[in-house]
Parts: sequence; structure tokens; C-alpha cells
Amino acid sequence: MAPLFFKALLEKLNRGFWPYIIILSHTILGTSLVYSTPRSNVAFLVLITSLFSLYYFKTDSRFKIIAGAILALVVIPIVGVRNIFYLEVIFQISVFAALALGLNIVVGFAGLLDLGYVAFYAVGAYLWAFFGSQQYYVLSFAPGTQPSNLPFLLPGDAFYLFIFFAIIVAALTGILLGMPVLRLRGDYLAIVTLGFGEVIRVLANNLDKPLNFTNGPQGITPIQRPSMPQAVADWFNDLFGGIIGHTASIADLYNVMFYLFALLVIIVIIFVTRRLDDSKIGRAWTAVREDETAAIAMGVPLVKMKLAAFAVGASFAGAMGVLLAASRTFISPESFSFMQSIGVLSMVILGGSGSIPGVILGAATVTILNLQILQGFSLYLSELRQSDAIIPIINFAWRDLSTQLDPAKYQRLLFGLILILMMIFRPAGLIPAKRRKRKLASDTATAEK
Amino acid sequence: MNRFFLSINVRELVRPLGQLTLFSLGSAAALSIIVLIMALVLDQTIIGETLTEKLNVSLYTYTLINLPQVVLDGLTIGFVYAAIALGYTMVYGVLEFINFAHSEIFAVGAFVGVEILIALDQTGMLRNASLGMAYVFLIFAILAGMAAAGALAVTVERVAYRPLRGAPRLVPLISAIGVSFLLQDVIRLVEGLTTGDFNRIFPTFGNFDQRIIFGKLALGSTNLTLGVSIKSLIVIISAVLMLVGLNYLVNATRIGKAIRAVAQDRPTASLMGINVNRIISITFLVGGLLGGAAGVLYALKFTRIDPFVGFFPGLKAFAAAVLGGIGNLTGALLGGIVLGMLETFAGSYMGVFTMGAAGSEYKDIFAFSILIFVLIFRPQGLMGENVGQKA
Amino acid sequence: MALLETIDVVKTFGGLTAVNKVNIKLEQGRIISIIGPNGAGKTTFFNTLTGIYSPDGGEVNFNGRSLLKLRPDQIAARGLSRTFQNIRLFGDMSVIENILVGMHVHLKQSPISTLLRLKSFKQEERSAEKKAEELMNYVGLKGVGNEMAKNLPYGAQRRLEIARALAADPLLLLLDEPAAGMNPQETEDVTRLFRSIRDDKGITILLIEHDMRVVMNISEYIFVMDYGEKIAEGVPAEIRSNSRVIEAYLGRGAVAGQHEEKLQ
Repeated sequence: MAPLFFKALLEKLNRGFWPYIIILSHTILGTSLVYSTPRSNVAFLVLITSLFSLYYFKTDSRFKIIAGAILALVVIPIVGVRNIFYLEVIFQISVFAALALGLNIVVGFAGLLDLGYVAFYAVGAYLWAFFGSQQYYVLSFAPGTQPSNLPFLLPGDAFYLFIFFAIIVAALTGILLGMPVLRLRGDYLAIVTLGFGEVIRVLANNLDKPLNFTNGPQGITPIQRPSMPQAVADWFNDLFGGIIGHTASIADLYNVMFYLFALLVIIVIIFVTRRLDDSKIGRAWTAVREDETAAIAMGVPLVKMKLAAFAVGASFAGAMGVLLAASRTFISPESFSFMQSIGVLSMVILGGSGSIPGVILGAATVTILNLQILQGFSLYLSELRQSDAIIPIINFAWRDLSTQLDPAKYQRLLFGLILILMMIFRPAGLIPAKRRKRKLASDTATAEK
Repeated sequence: MNRFFLSINVRELVRPLGQLTLFSLGSAAALSIIVLIMALVLDQTIIGETLTEKLNVSLYTYTLINLPQVVLDGLTIGFVYAAIALGYTMVYGVLEFINFAHSEIFAVGAFVGVEILIALDQTGMLRNASLGMAYVFLIFAILAGMAAAGALAVTVERVAYRPLRGAPRLVPLISAIGVSFLLQDVIRLVEGLTTGDFNRIFPTFGNFDQRIIFGKLALGSTNLTLGVSIKSLIVIISAVLMLVGLNYLVNATRIGKAIRAVAQDRPTASLMGINVNRIISITFLVGGLLGGAAGVLYALKFTRIDPFVGFFPGLKAFAAAVLGGIGNLTGALLGGIVLGMLETFAGSYMGVFTMGAAGSEYKDIFAFSILIFVLIFRPQGLMGENVGQKA
Repeated sequence: MALLETIDVVKTFGGLTAVNKVNIKLEQGRIISIIGPNGAGKTTFFNTLTGIYSPDGGEVNFNGRSLLKLRPDQIAARGLSRTFQNIRLFGDMSVIENILVGMHVHLKQSPISTLLRLKSFKQEERSAEKKAEELMNYVGLKGVGNEMAKNLPYGAQRRLEIARALAADPLLLLLDEPAAGMNPQETEDVTRLFRSIRDDKGITILLIEHDMRVVMNISEYIFVMDYGEKIAEGVPAEIRSNSRVIEAYLGRGAVAGQHEEKLQ
């Protein structure tokens, strides 16, 4: 009975002016909670879920766009700078959302299971890490032996140029890898992409000799960021300094900047995805996913279409790689492991492959689970360990709990459970993909009858 | 008694032994010739000169003298790969499905075997055991690892794959990836909670670490002892026994016939009165048993295991299965041996041949490069039939 | 000149010769059938024509050019379109989108015009949508354009497959058992549809069919296959009285004429 009741209630609330009231109050509540509490998961969840009430409830599309823009461009930077903890989480969500949306093109639309997606991310990251740091002058030094006063090869503003280079290089890498293997059956492709991901990681780990390209397991640092004019900082502080409560430092502003860049990439991916989806290319992708034999018999060139999906997906990962390298100013092979690829995959699967809102929800959920819930649980356990508390009934002292039990490190368990449970119980994901309804003359004709 | 012996199909016992010998000798000979030719060519270059300066030996001699040891090492690891690859190939043959979690089945086998031996070690039984008892304990550990891995494989199939039969191909594969990840962390969790440490060491007992020395060879200014450790011999012998046993099971028994029938045509097999679900469970069980045994043997050979120990051997064994022709048992043997050999040869000689620029650190990705090449040029593998999608 | 001509086409699987030296010749604008008992190699023959299998020997010439060495999508682009024996629609796409996929080879839209929604793109999409709708109506699927293909009833799915194949503006339409599983009324409807496709659009039709009423009713020429070989060809009346055909269907020893009505 209860679910039915809620369904009826939600339908009632989804009419007239109710949606506006709900969205506004949800957003305002979230904002004020986050604004007033420095490190609260609950407050953060209230704010972030307001995006989903904005998505779910039916309102005027202009209202949606304006509300969304205010939330993303004004509210989040303000509360983020006031409290850098929130901005970090939101930045992570944005990065993973962008990656997941990119992978979604490959997995969700074209139906190609790519298990080495972060390899393209690594290609982008290492591209900028090499050219945007001193690494060029370190080529002939073994890791750790270079002199400290080396110059930078390129100015930090070359970052913008390298976003485009990374898109091209990652797309080419995708095509080069895809060309031989895309004619294979899907499950073989999965294993080959996995292998490719490992190859890239092993190369990143070992290409510190004979010439030191990647600096091996220690990774490359410092990597430059684009310049931040003082005028922008002053402008930001003049405008928002009052509400934030303190003057934003350059470091704070960089965090905002990279968050906005990630947001921009997300918007571009959504734009590209939606426009492609509703065209010859997108229809061909879906057709290939649904039935390869029928698609090719209808004149859809399989390999070409798959390559296109692979290249588009890869290019976005490449761009995000440059962004990551610049925002972190440090990268190492560790960030590009197989587990990361599976993490991104589990976001796509959880949210609903092929569904843009689904994938964003998946990225947000997995990132929050991963960063907030698991880590929060870890903190809680370590507090318990330091206390004298005892588990009742079995009389087990928390103090004796093994320090190996650190939930924050159990991401594999999380990803694994998500993948298995979703496949068994809800393979289409939390928000399944929908095909666009077309306005057709014959439909209206039947309706008129 | 007499009747029992008469019912044994001797041909099916001898045939795999012949194949194993042929594959081992063949791949050893082929690879040896290749490295020797490379050594001869490179001897004239700076690479040869550097080595002559360092070890006072020509590159050719260096390569030649190292060969027997490399071949032995390659065989040992090759047989381990073959045993794991059989698990992939059996399941693939029957269900056309890559059991991605097979690498963790292998890891669980290794952990169960090692934990039992560690427990025995703590009671002091291992240290005081006679040589005969040491072998009894080892066999017991292997059997326990097999049982645990077999049971786990059947459970995983029942819980995570069977509900997805008939779904699009990628659905069970994604589920299998999930199982693989889940199991890695479950091993970590269980080990973390019970022992506090998830890096486990195979206890030292028996005479497994001893080496049988065949002789010494002069290598420039140093000497090279040629020998094989007893544990490598155990690995090779056990793997051969398992491979022969499996071959017999599949090719000369009723159950084997049913497995082959299900692999050939599931609906028809079911119409012929074969319980398809049971046969699929048996397939997973057999694959799990082999994987578990391979796990314990792996731990014996390499001593140290951790919850992610299955990942690389698993992937390489999969590569081996594809190399040999997935779905084909003989192919898995061939693929395992060839891959183990290739990898060991590359690991041993690549460093010398490239003057240290690229050495054994690349051996883990070697298997993938081979996998990609095989899939490009001969996707059906060395011995497989065409695996193109049915229209 | 013949629209399609095969010369000694051979297709083997391992030791099995599924298609053995089959020669056929199709004249433009006709309705031709291939019949034969189950396992005669008819569908395999279709698959070799459309490039899903590449023949192990022989020649396939279509509209004056060889189809050998072409990929299935290239063959489709040359004007050879098909349906499948066991309906293969894109289940999670709408009816109209299924038809639009069929137009793939004719749509010229570039990635740039797609992304920027240029005028050329919009015009092309609009006219494609209009054409798709006309096809929907033509095959009798009025008003279901936004339904998911998998949700259509069986008969409608068969029609949609035909509409999708027609969307490519083929010169030759290959239909693999288009009336399988239909009731007599539906069968009669699709038979009429085939005839009108040929009459209105001038599209040549080659169909595989088991339902002899359909075959004898609309075929102007018939090829008969058995055990991978073409055993007979001719107009329906000739086929009906051909002893080898009756033998193939009813087994050796069956007397010609005695079971003639069964073939009708």
C-alpha cells in the first residue's frame, strides 16, 4: 500500500505550482544547511539532491535552466569557497560525472563494454603532465636525481591548447586501439580494452627509462595551471566576499575554476550526446547495440560507427585528463588503475546506461558513497577503536578490531555489489534511458478521429 | 577389479600426455631458436659488446647457457596457466561466457590452502613432519583449496550467473566483473578480520625449496648452476595429472559426453534428457577445482599471496585460452604452455637484449600484447574454430 | 540484363556444403520465390547474397557489379535490402526510428551539421521523418510511430521489418519467410502488400517461403533448393508438376500428381 500512496502523492505534487514550491524550498533548505554547517554529509546530501528534484518535478523549462544555473554557478561556488570541503566533493562528482558520461557514449549508446576507459584519461593527463611541467628537461635524469632549478617547458596558459590536443590525441588512441579489435565480439573487446588499460598503466610506471617520460611510480609534479588574473580574484571577492565570510585565496579560486571547467565539459558532453543521439549517428549506435547483424544489413557500417563511438568517448576522457593533471598539479600511475575504470563503469550501470540523468545520478551516488559514506564509516570505526566501547552480546571490544578493516578501502566491494545487484535486479539502471517521442502527423490524425 | 581396468580408455590417458610433451618441446624449441638467432645478430652490436665487457661472455653463449633454466621456469608457469585456462575454456565452451571471476576462484583456492598450512604450521606439526607427512599435508592443502574453490564456483554460478541466462551477452559479463571485485574485497575482509594481515606466506616445510642440481655451467667469469626446485617439479607433475584427469573426464566418461552435448547445442541436449543446469554446475565445479588446485600450486611456487593474486594469472590464463582457441581444451593446454614460455623468455632475455631499457617489468603486459595480436590475426586462436558471431 | 545473377555460388561450413553451386538469375521487376524443405540452404543462400557470409566460391553480380568482397553494409547501400526469418528489429527503438535506421545509407548529414543543427540537417531529418511515416502508413502501421518495436504484436513486427527494408529504397527486396507464423487473414494482407510493393515502387522481390498458398499465388518464377543445390526452376505451374520437387518434399517414391493438391 505504502508505495502506491507515495506514487499518488508524488503525482499530486507534480502539478500546478507545487513543483516550484518544492524545488525552491528544497534548494534553499540545502543551501542554508550547507552554508551554516562546515562538514555535514546530511546537509550536503540535501543540497545535492535538490538537483534531482529540479530534474524530477515538472516545471517550465526556462525555470529549470535558470534555477540550475544559479545553483551550479552561484550557490555552489559560494558555499564551496566558504567551505572548501564541499567544493572538493562536488569537484570529484563533476569529474566522475564527466568521465561516466563519456563512457556512457561507448557503453550506453553503442553497447561496447570498455573496461580500460581510464587509459584515455591517463593519455590526456600524461600529455599535459609532460608538456606542462619540467619533465621535458628531466628526460635524461633518473627519477629523483634531477636538479631543482629546471625551467618549465611551456607557460601554464598552454593548458587551454592542450585540452584540444588531448581531445585529438585521445581520439586517435581510441581509433588506433579500436581499429583492430572493434570487429571482435563484445566480450573479447571488453578483455582487450582491459588489457590496454593495464598496458597504459604499466607504461606509465616504467617509462622512466631509458628516457624519463613519466617519472615512474612517483609521478609527475608540479604541473602548471592556467594563470589566474588578480582582477578575477578581486572581482570574485568584491562580489561574494561578504556572503562567504572570508577573502577567497587564489587556491580557493583555482578550485572554483576547475569545478567550472569540469561543469563546462559536462555540458559539452551532454550537448554532443543529445544532438548525436537524435541523428543518423546516434540511431546507428543504438541499432548496433540492439542487433549488429540487422544493423549491418540495413547499411550501417559497423566498424566505422563503433570507432566513432570509441573516439568520441575517448576524446572526452582525454580532455578530463588534462583537467585533472592541472587541477591536482600532480599525477601518478595509481590514479589510472583498472579499479578506476570499473568505478566509472559502475556509475554508468547504476544510473542507467544510455541515460544522461541516470549516469549523472550514478556518478554522484557512487562518488558520495565512496568519498563520504565509506570514509565516514572509516572515521567512525577508528573513533570506536579508540574508545572503550564493547559490542554487546558477543562482548567484543572495538579496540581489538583489526586496523585492516578500513571501509574507505573497500571500494571494490562497493563496485562489485553495485554491478551484480544492478545486473540481476535492474539492468536498465535507476533512471532507465528513454527514447525521444516524436511529433508525428499520423499520431495527431489518429487522435483526431 | 579386472573389469575396472578394462573400462579405462587408455587412449584418452596417453593422448594428452603426448600433446603436453609435444607442446612443451615444440614451444621450447621454437623459442630457443628465435632467441639464439637474435643473440647471434645482436652479438655484433653494442649490446653484445657491453655484455662481453661486463660478464666476459658473448651474448650467444649467455643466451645458450641460460636456456635450460628458462625453459624449465617457463614450463612451470605455463602449466599453472594451462590449469587456470582450462577453467575459462570449459565455461566458455559450454556457456559462451567469460567467467571473469575465475581469477578470484583461483585466489580463494590459494588462500584456503595456505591458511590450512599456516594453521598446521602454528601447531608445530609441519616443522616436525617427516618427508612423507609433508607431502600428505601438501596434498591435503591442495585438496582443501580445490574443494573450497569448486564450491565457490558453483555458488557464484547459481547466484550471479544463472538468473542472467538468456540476457544480452554483456549482462552476465558485467555481473562476473562485479563478482570478481566483490570476492577480492571479501578475501581481504575475511583475512583482515581473522588474521589482521592479507599478505600471506606459504609456510616453509618439507623439501619443496630444495633444488635438484643437474650440474654447473661456466658462464664467463661466473658459474651458473642448472637445476630445478622440487616445488617446480611438484607443480609440473600435479598440473599434468590434473590435465590428464580432465581430458579423461571430458572425453571418456558419460558426464563428459553430456558436457560436450550441452556445449554443442543446449536446447537439443535438454531434449535428449540431459539436465542442463546440472551439467553447467558440474562445468563450473570442474573449472573451480582446477582453479583452486592451481591456486595452491601457485602459492607453493611463488610463496607470497595477497587478495589480488588472481588478477594477473587470471588474465594471462584467459589470454592463454584465447591464444589456444577458447572453448578448446587442447588449445588451453597449448596456449598456457606457449604463453608461460613466451613470458619467461621475454622476462629473461628482454632486459639483456635491450640493455636494460625494457626488462621483466614489461612481462605482465606481454600477455596482453599477445592477446591483441592473436585477436587481430587469428581470432579463433591456434586450435579453435571460427568464433565469429552467428548470423 | 538480369538484376541479380549468381554463378556457381558455394558456401561450406566445415565439412557441410550448405550451398552447392547455385545459379539463379532474377529479372528486374518480378516477384520470385525460393522454396525447399527445411535445411535446404535457402537462408544460408540469402546470407551469402547479403554478405553476412562470404561465399567460398562462385560469383554474385548485382545490377551489373560484383558483390563479392563487399561488406554487408556496402551491399545494402547498393540497393539490396532484406528481412530476417526470425524478426530482427531494434527492440528498444521506436517504430519510426527503426525505419529511420533503414534510411541510413541515404542520409547525408555530417557530424558538424548534426552538432550545430544546421538547416540542411533539420530539413533532411524532417523529410526523412515524413518519408518514414509514409512507409509506416504504407505497410499498415498507422499511428504507432512512437511505440517501442518490441511492444508491437507479431504481425506488426513483420510489417515493420518490411517497412525498414523499404526505407533503404532497395532495387531488390529479400524476404525470408515473411508470412511465417501469420494467420490466413494476415497472410493474405501481406501477400497483397508484396504485390503492391512491386507494382507501386517497381521493386524486385525475392522471397523464401514455406506457405505454398503465398508462393503459388504471387510468384512469377520459382527456384527450388534441396540439400544446398538448386533442383528446379520455372513458373509455378511447372514447379507444381516437377517430379524432383515433389520427391524433395515428400520423399522418394511419392507419385507425382497424387499429392499435387498438397503442394497447392
